[in-house]
Amino acid sequence: MTDLPHALELRDIRKAFGAVKVIHGIDLEIEEGEFVVFVGPSGCGKSTLLRLIAGLDDPTSGDIELQGKRVNTVPASERGLSMVFQSYALYPHMSVRANLSFGLENLNMPRAEITRRVDDAAKLLQIDQLLDRRPGQLSGGQRQRVAIGRAIVREPIIFLFDEPLSNLDAELRLQMRVEISNLHAQLGNTMIYVTHDQVEAMTMADRIVVLRGGRIEQQGRPLDLYNHPANRFVAGFIGAPQMNFLAGRLEGRTLRLDCGLTREVPVAVPGKGEAVSLGIRPEAIGVSLDGQGDEVVTVRNYEQLGAITYIYAAFANGETLTVQQAAQIPLERGQRIGVRFHTETFHIFGPDERALEMQS
Amino acid sequence: MSLAGSLMLGLLLAWGLGGTVWLLTTRRYRVTQVPRFAMDLLGFPVELAQRLFGRGGVPYALLLPNMLIFGLFTFAPMILNFYVSFTGGSSIILFERPWVGLSKYVDIFACESYLVPKTCSNAGYNFFTGLYNTLWFVGIQVPIMCAVALITALVVNRDIKGRGFWRAMFFYPVMLSPVVIANIWNWVLHRKGVLNAGLDEMTGALNALAGLSGFDMVMTVLLAIVLMVVTERALRAGAEPSTAWTALFALILALLTAWANPLSLLDLSGSLWLGLALGAGLVWLVAAGHRSARIAIMVAAALAALMLLSIQFSTVFDMGRYRPNNWLVTPNTGWPFFWLVFVFCWSHMGFYMLILLAGLQAIPRDLYEAAKMDATRPLRAFTRITLPLVMPTLTVVIVLSLIRSFQIFDEVYLLTGGGPGRETYMIVQNIYEVAFTNSQPDYGQAAAGSVLMAVIIAVFTFFQLWLTRRQSEL
Amino acid sequence: MSRLATFLTRTAGTPDRAERFGVTDLLAYGYLLFGVLIVLVPVAWTFFSSIKPERAVDNFDTRLLPYAQIEAEIEGQGPKPLWVHTDENGDEVLVFKAGPTRRETEVARPEAPDAVFTVPRSSLAPHETISVAVENYLDPLLKRNGQENFHFFTYLYNSVFVTVVATLITLLINAMAGFALSKYRFRGRLTFTILIVATLLIPASIILVSLFFVVWSFGIFGSLWGVIIPAAATPTGVFLLRQYMLTIPDELLEAARMDAASEWRIFWRIIIPLSLPALSVLAILSVIWRWNDFLWPLIVLISDPRQHTLQLGLTQFAGEFNTDFHYILAMTVVTLLPITLVFVWLQRFITTGIATTGLK
Repeated sequence: MTDLPHALELRDIRKAFGAVKVIHGIDLEIEEGEFVVFVGPSGCGKSTLLRLIAGLDDPTSGDIELQGKRVNTVPASERGLSMVFQSYALYPHMSVRANLSFGLENLNMPRAEITRRVDDAAKLLQIDQLLDRRPGQLSGGQRQRVAIGRAIVREPIIFLFDEPLSNLDAELRLQMRVEISNLHAQLGNTMIYVTHDQVEAMTMADRIVVLRGGRIEQQGRPLDLYNHPANRFVAGFIGAPQMNFLAGRLEGRTLRLDCGLTREVPVAVPGKGEAVSLGIRPEAIGVSLDGQGDEVVTVRNYEQLGAITYIYAAFANGETLTVQQAAQIPLERGQRIGVRFHTETFHIFGPDERALEMQS
Repeated sequence: MSLAGSLMLGLLLAWGLGGTVWLLTTRRYRVTQVPRFAMDLLGFPVELAQRLFGRGGVPYALLLPNMLIFGLFTFAPMILNFYVSFTGGSSIILFERPWVGLSKYVDIFACESYLVPKTCSNAGYNFFTGLYNTLWFVGIQVPIMCAVALITALVVNRDIKGRGFWRAMFFYPVMLSPVVIANIWNWVLHRKGVLNAGLDEMTGALNALAGLSGFDMVMTVLLAIVLMVVTERALRAGAEPSTAWTALFALILALLTAWANPLSLLDLSGSLWLGLALGAGLVWLVAAGHRSARIAIMVAAALAALMLLSIQFSTVFDMGRYRPNNWLVTPNTGWPFFWLVFVFCWSHMGFYMLILLAGLQAIPRDLYEAAKMDATRPLRAFTRITLPLVMPTLTVVIVLSLIRSFQIFDEVYLLTGGGPGRETYMIVQNIYEVAFTNSQPDYGQAAAGSVLMAVIIAVFTFFQLWLTRRQSEL
Repeated sequence: MSRLATFLTRTAGTPDRAERFGVTDLLAYGYLLFGVLIVLVPVAWTFFSSIKPERAVDNFDTRLLPYAQIEAEIEGQGPKPLWVHTDENGDEVLVFKAGPTRRETEVARPEAPDAVFTVPRSSLAPHETISVAVENYLDPLLKRNGQENFHFFTYLYNSVFVTVVATLITLLINAMAGFALSKYRFRGRLTFTILIVATLLIPASIILVSLFFVVWSFGIFGSLWGVIIPAAATPTGVFLLRQYMLTIPDELLEAARMDAASEWRIFWRIIIPLSLPALSVLAILSVIWRWNDFLWPLIVLISDPRQHTLQLGLTQFAGEFNTDFHYILAMTVVTLLPITLVFVWLQRFITTGIATTGLK
């Protein structure tokens, strides 16, 4: 493993636009064939990071290595990467075929080779009957395919995707998500995908890199992030609906929540009465309609989706709680219901918002 | 071949040969890619800049040709102008021109009174005559043209049929060259030209009409009926009088006042102006929705009826024999100046109308719909919505037309040649003649005139911009 | 009756929404019609005058159509104009004047040229027919009948050369400058922008004298290049193109960079095709400016008749032969014809183009 160069390695990358620092030192390695998703709220620097990798912007400091070669000074066109843009950036005055072959022509590739690659890519993406149309005559999904096709024909080392699905409607987004995943399976190339949508990240990624404020908050496989978030931000960002956070104090191994609940928790280091927050996922909470349970909450609102029911409830002290139940439950607003918590599903975040280690 | 010429040749050779060698060594081209090679060769300096300095060098390479021409043919002459204005003689070679200091300026300002060019030296007489004529011209022409352009734009912007046709028709003269325009108007305004002939026929027809027996009575009855209808229409439309009909009424009122000439009782002239003032006041009252608008219209109608009875139409319409006017040549009539203003407006109005039209069309329609829902009167909608929103465009138009009309030369030179006498002698013609048509060209004098003109234009422009800036702050 | 009136005065819309043709509409159309008459009548009058025979032009015949007096070959006296003589009985007879025109003029019938008789002048009217005087156009153009001083085809060539070359150079270098100012961030961008605004405020006529020195020292005085080069860089053009290019998305450029296109090729293959609307407006403006240019060509080119543009040639022609109105008018029409045809062909495009793209 160590003797093979990484597909991409970033070392202490920093970027500032004038006085504004956007990226604060990022170290990252990406292996050959990996599908990595950069996810984070808007303004977290994920797109900037992608543009630095692409070579569209130059880092203020730090090194970018592609397959073991430092490429900081190599212009975008010579890094052997290709990128799918958020707005697709298809050349509106060229036909689909010209869009696909423009980059290859710039590389002085023989005409026959260009035709072969364009036809292959078109067949792969099922856009071969659209080759003579202009981008303006295509639907959103078709444009998306052409944009991907333009990336494919270059046969790049790494594919870069900059929020490519954000301009599509929900249904099409779902479909393209699956198609991109299949494409990855088929081509086996390294792909870096930027999105603000954690669902896309969870469903597509081999590895998720969560960014906030120009720093990496956590990286890892999707379920690892879901099950073991390193801090409160990641815990809140990954998973929908969002994790519930309840304020409380940790005295020794006793967790006293402001809403009244008290539990023994198996933290590795006993607390000294510091303020902590308990994170608990909506689906990890049990409900009893007869008001029995660990605590009683009042139903403020609820959503019946058929297979799933979301309950938005409040404790007596005003703290709110979202509960997800995989069943249809008869409810009324103002109804008082009992909720049950399971200690093994608890995530406890210390005053610095980091997750507290548990005893194994 | 001059130094600059050989320099250019060398540059072209370096570009062509160097570019070819460089491109062929760094890139491969197939035979079918000759056009592509040609384009790459054209952009060779830009490609080279990118290769040498990276992407950061590209914008400078892109700007270079444009800025080079600006530098050599706009900025350098601008500065050179000052130098030339301090030198004398008639040599074209800069180094052979003797330094004369401020004497060219002193020549211009050698006047007893700056307001009377005749008291100046020869140079000063020409300069100040040109300057005052130009100032008069600008002062009269710019407001008229901007007003006409705005009115035309407003009318074309209405929901009318064939908007494209009207717009194109008004723009057409902009496409014509000054020489063509001058020839056309010279022909129309010739002493025996079609304008004089048309006016002659019209006066003849009017005289014949006025000579008919019973003309007075028919005219009085006819106008009385028209007056009644218009008054009734103006007062009928809803609770408040209709602006459009009032405008028509005001026009008739102005004409009646001019014909009845009530001021002659006081031995004063200018009844037409009195009539126009009365009409304008009436329209304003109605358009502003004043409470006394109805009463004003009724009073004016009574007044008009009185005047109508007093008019002897046969004398009003008896114009006498028409004498053909030599429009562009007769001195001390003001006609050459008038026609200059007219022809200049005629040929340039369309351009400014288009810009104003674009400004008007940028105003969102729903603003007017909202105003309609608020029962805003049309004039109020114009002064409170249209005018403020079109103001930035209007400012641009005013500044542009100001600079443009300050530089008037072609039309004057070709239509009147500055004559009769010096009545239409403009400042650019002064510069042109001093520098290029005299047997002893006095470049220094012309340059001094140019510098002074530049100062005046700059003052005007900045004053204008300052004024509008202040307005928009208020 | 009132329904009929409504029907006749309806301006637009469906029958239920039909609005009456109000007095405002009347005023508006009246104004427009009046304006168009003022614009068109002089031009039309010039055209109709230009096809009149020399005699009609010299006599300032103000009838619209070109009437020419019919001539007849009289034995021993050559061609003579014919007159219609109406005698007391109202009978008409064709005669020619056998002597000078007096109150009582001597005339004779063409069949019997020697039978001279006297008639009052007032009973004579010219015997006319409508004839288009093509020779007004053909004589100067073909250099017949002593009209050797109007080198139409030389002038036309010079004008077309100046217009086409200057427009091409203007388009190229203004587009390059506009591209640099709109799509790159670089040190000095503001300075360059301000410099270009400054040239907008320096009118050509105040640098006339020193520009003459500069052009002379470059050795292009007296040649067409002396007219082409100084006016090639236009601040209006740079701004117009810059404003338009700002609307082209940056992502397109970045996509092209990823496609290994050099900056020049991006300019040529992406920016130029996408700026075509603005470029064509500038092309039209430039054609109008260069074709109609007068003062500067007058200074630079006046000394060499072989270098005259159409405008200069026409001025010289009108100056030399200011009595031969029929030729001057014909050549005026010839000069205004090309630009009129272009205008008729492209008028919608020109007016909307200038209105929407120009000077914002």
